[in-house]
Amino acid sequence: MFAVLQSIALAIHFSYQSYPRARFMSTAGDVSGKIMEIRHSVTKHFNLDKANLKLQEENIELRRQLPVSFIPLQSGMVKINDTLYRQQFEYLPATVLNSTYDKRNNFLTINTGAFQGVEEGMGVFNGEGAVGYIFKTSEHFSLVKTILSDNVNLDVFLSSGAFGLLKWDGKSSSEVYITGIANDIEVRVGDVVKTRGTGGIFPRGIVVGHVSEINTVEGDPLWEIHVKLAVDFRSISDAYVIKNLLKEEFDNLQISRE
Amino acid sequence: MKNNFVFHSVLFLTLILSQILVFNQLEIGLGIHIMIYPMFVLALPFDMRPATVMILGFLTGITIDWYTNSFGLHASSAVFLAYLRPKLFSFLEPREGYDTLKRPLLRDMGRNWFFTIYAIGLLLHHLWFFTFEIFKFSEIFFILQKALLSTFASLLMITMIQIIFFNKQKEL
Repeated sequence: MFAVLQSIALAIHFSYQSYPRARFMSTAGDVSGKIMEIRHSVTKHFNLDKANLKLQEENIELRRQLPVSFIPLQSGMVKINDTLYRQQFEYLPATVLNSTYDKRNNFLTINTGAFQGVEEGMGVFNGEGAVGYIFKTSEHFSLVKTILSDNVNLDVFLSSGAFGLLKWDGKSSSEVYITGIANDIEVRVGDVVKTRGTGGIFPRGIVVGHVSEINTVEGDPLWEIHVKLAVDFRSISDAYVIKNLLKEEFDNLQISRE
Repeated sequence: MKNNFVFHSVLFLTLILSQILVFNQLEIGLGIHIMIYPMFVLALPFDMRPATVMILGFLTGITIDWYTNSFGLHASSAVFLAYLRPKLFSFLEPREGYDTLKRPLLRDMGRNWFFTIYAIGLLLHHLWFFTFEIFKFSEIFFILQKALLSTFASLLMITMIQIIFFNKQKEL
């Protein structure tokens, strides 16, 4: 009996990463999502002040970039609506219903699902920075696997141009690491870390955090770079899901190369 | 028997609801993760068959997993605890065997029995849980730290729950 039940439980645990079928039990389910929504409808009021401030800050940042905030330096400039640019990324707003930051793998449950066009593998960020990617969707809810997980391997670059992979060791909810940057590249404390946008999940240049500490790795020609995360996972209340309109084209190209 | 059924159903629901709605949201730091649902497994009647305890443990764990996004981890540890339960109980068994009218609670079994059994049970449960959660030999001290601190926190919570809700005056 022990062996049977134990093997079922451990089989679920060790296969959910690779087999989406094993992900049937999660807070993105329709019933469990509903319960999280009810819980959220009570607890959301506790964080409203903070959430509002954060949205306000983001608004100010965006307003600064509006044409109204600039004075023309050269008269006679005309804005031409040309065809040089094409929309590649669209963003779906979502509210965070449930979140953890203290487990080995941390997830968010958001109130946007397949019905709104969310698909597994899409990137998620908020006003502060990159958050994670969609791990599972149901009709009206989705599960987001955050940067605070085992094997996230987000592709990031520093302001100096060096790039590496983001790792989390499971200890602090505000600190992650970058591996794979050779120690002949100059890295400074305070350098901004941004997404590299190679997988087509994130656009290039979404802030992840900044370098807080640099150590040498014993016996390896690599830096061990500590990164202070931009997102405060303890008070995350809103997020945007990134929809890459050219994802299919990108993926087809990747496949054809192999 | 019927009374037992009602008691344990109510206990099941309240423990699971408070675990997922309250204790899972409490993230204190230092890797402390308060788990109160093991109390359900430990508080099942003395004369219940071990296989039944394991099935109930599995169900409890998988329900918690569902709402914690831990995919089978809690189920695995709860089954492990259910498996250990008869061994733990026989360890402190009175000479004449356990009185089946009593329940494995602080109220019925006294302080010494309660703290020994619950502390060992919780510690082994938590060790199993964090070992499989982290699953890296190099992190063994972090696993131990998490398990020890969480055991302390969980035991404290469970003791408070038992003192407040299952005292001698209030017979459920």
